[in-house]
Amino acid sequence: MKLAGHRLALVLFAGVIVVWLIGMAVVMRHAALPPDASGTMLAVFEPGTPEDEVFAALTRADARIVKPSGLGFIWVVSSQQPGLAGKLRREGALGAYRELPVSPVIAGCFAFADAKVASLAQ
Amino acid sequence: MTTEAPTDDHIPWYHTVTAMIVAGCLVAIVNFGVRSTFGFFTVPVSEAHGWPREIFSFAMAMQNLIWGIATPIAGMLADRYGSARVLMAGAVIYCIGMLVMAYTDSASVFNLGGGLLVGVGIAFSSFSIVMAALGRIVPPDRRSWAFGIATASGSLGQFIFAPLGAMLVSAYGWQQALVILAVLSLLIILFAAPLLKQNTSGSRPTPGEADLTMKAAIGLAFGHRSYVLLVSGFFVCGFQLAFITVHMPAYLAEHGISKEFAGLAMGLIGLFNVVGSYVSGIIGGRGEKHVPLAFIYLTRAAITATFVLLPVTETTTLLFTCSMGLLWLSTVPLTMGLVTVMFGTRYMATLYGFVFVSHQIGSFLGVWLAGRLYDQFGSYDIVWWLSVGLGVFAFIVNLPIREKRAPRFATA
Repeated sequence: MKLAGHRLALVLFAGVIVVWLIGMAVVMRHAALPPDASGTMLAVFEPGTPEDEVFAALTRADARIVKPSGLGFIWVVSSQQPGLAGKLRREGALGAYRELPVSPVIAGCFAFADAKVASLAQ
Repeated sequence: MTTEAPTDDHIPWYHTVTAMIVAGCLVAIVNFGVRSTFGFFTVPVSEAHGWPREIFSFAMAMQNLIWGIATPIAGMLADRYGSARVLMAGAVIYCIGMLVMAYTDSASVFNLGGGLLVGVGIAFSSFSIVMAALGRIVPPDRRSWAFGIATASGSLGQFIFAPLGAMLVSAYGWQQALVILAVLSLLIILFAAPLLKQNTSGSRPTPGEADLTMKAAIGLAFGHRSYVLLVSGFFVCGFQLAFITVHMPAYLAEHGISKEFAGLAMGLIGLFNVVGSYVSGIIGGRGEKHVPLAFIYLTRAAITATFVLLPVTETTTLLFTCSMGLLWLSTVPLTMGLVTVMFGTRYMATLYGFVFVSHQIGSFLGVWLAGRLYDQFGSYDIVWWLSVGLGVFAFIVNLPIREKRAPRFATA
């Protein structure tokens, strides 16, 4: 088993990312909301979907836009009518998820930061 | 550049240098990755128990303190008994700590699990222990590269585990997510297995290294000017990173940057950190290490000063986070490399452990002092300029480091 240093790094990191993508796909399937879910949720569209198409889909699904996520294909939306998650899927969203406690978790050396930053991001 | 020694053809594949490097990197990914998810548990854990957030935050603060204190102890054990055994013990403690976090209803027991046990577990299975093993395995001319790939792996771990942790909480609830992560941390045992070949029990000094006891080595190191300078400089690294991590989102919010954009910009630090750590390892292998290390601190100071002087916009924020990301953990391979140059490989985990204590003290002050100064002055400006000043200080103290074997650590 002989690999040049940089190639080893590339193969290792690429392999880890592939395993991670598979793990994320599995977990995301379990994390998706059931079709009858309502309330506030994340509507996730295919990356690269034009914003006007996203808005049109959200309108057709009777979803009220709460706020952007920072990524053009993910929006925080809300509706009290049952079945919002299913409607979003029918209108082209990849899935609907509960709003995640997403935070900039980069505290390489100081995990207290993770807790603080997570609370700031709520 | 290959990673193999000529004798590798005659040993099992899992004991080749390449396999051991990959194994060490996987340990670093899991160790750093799992702990990077803890921020996602703040709200659900606190709400489930009806606790104020201080309880979770206190456990995390305690975890970092214990991590810092336990790192030299873990290093001593690794230098005495071999890295693999310490990594495996660390994985078990890490796992138990997270299971305690998942199942206890008591705040004090939560602190014991999430603070004490997880802190010890992280220290015992951390990439500094991995780097000590790699430092002994790879030839000296590839050592810095190995430190770089191990550090980059830790950075990659925290980058990829963070969204996974968030999704686990969303899919299975916080309690099951903690159990899943606890089980994942046990992968460290599997990944550390190839490193069992690097067993330092009853080890003798390598050729060119003086035969010193551990106690004598620690005493001599702290009497060595260059080591003290290195320790002093690494304090600044901890201060700067912890300050930015904790207080920058609030600083950006004050200047009208949305928290979503702030999250994205801060996330880029993690991505650029992988590149910066790896490149730093390569640079360290090509010549002197203390000069690039000094310039990393100076560059951080220059970037920080520029960022504070310019208006805070989305563009300047992105430029700041990307450039700081490149310099984020790039100090680690060079610092570890300098410890090895000065003292050899026999007690490298122990002596790096003491350097890391200084880093954690800096981290604590970077968070706490910044908060105090903000409360007093109503602005982060003074802390930014303190960070700039400390960066210049670290540049000055790292430049005179003498990059050669310390007296009495080399045979005549």
